[in-house]
Amino acid sequence: MKKILILLIISALSGCASHQGVPVTVKFPDVPQDMLIACPNLNQLDSDQVKELSQVLEVVTTNYSQYYNCKAMVDNWIEWYKAQKSIFDKVGK
Amino acid sequence: MWFLNFIPDSLLQTVILGILFSGVGLYILGLFINFIPTFYPYKEPIRILSTLLIIAGVYGEGSYANEMSWREKVKEAQSAVSLAESKSQKVNTVIRTKIVHDKKIVHDKQIVIQKEIQVNEQLINKECKLDPVVIKILNEAATNPFLKPAGDNK
Repeated sequence: MKKILILLIISALSGCASHQGVPVTVKFPDVPQDMLIACPNLNQLDSDQVKELSQVLEVVTTNYSQYYNCKAMVDNWIEWYKAQKSIFDKVGK
Repeated sequence: MWFLNFIPDSLLQTVILGILFSGVGLYILGLFINFIPTFYPYKEPIRILSTLLIIAGVYGEGSYANEMSWREKVKEAQSAVSLAESKSQKVNTVIRTKIVHDKKIVHDKQIVIQKEIQVNEQLINKECKLDPVVIKILNEAATNPFLKPAGDNK
């Protein structure tokens, strides 16, 4: 009788322990569409049309601009990732 | 326990406490049954029933408390997730604004430089004869080194 009683008490207390975990999932956010644009290739000179140094200079400076656009994009990616990761990590804790 | 979700909390708590206190009441009744000889034969069944009811009540109360504590945790987690989602949206908005701003800065600078080239065009071209090799070298330098040659599928 005592053994059965102990068994029943243990089974009664097991009611406190049974659960399957918190059913809430956190999804890592999607990146803005503006940041999914790949960097373009650099402009090249048209050997038939380019005859003067100023024309060369124009293409070269345009390429510099493209580089800085691309640099800004990468910098923004890094900033976005760091900020989102920090938010995401805080939720997980 | 999943089925607890379908039963109203107040009803569940009432039923569990009902079972527990019925068990306790029946147990106390079992103690006093010695003084009533008529009910003496029922002493053992009453003790067994009261023990079972107490155990069921304790189990139910434990499960209920556990369920409520988990529900509270879920609520907290959901509120943390929605707060994070809202923060995340704010970050996206800030970054989108920054992208537009950065593009504008680069574009504005490019316009200034292009104008400067146009203004100084005569000066730039005055003493410079452009050899075709310059174009060739510049184009080579500007070619994407990661571009695969046609037919290369590696």
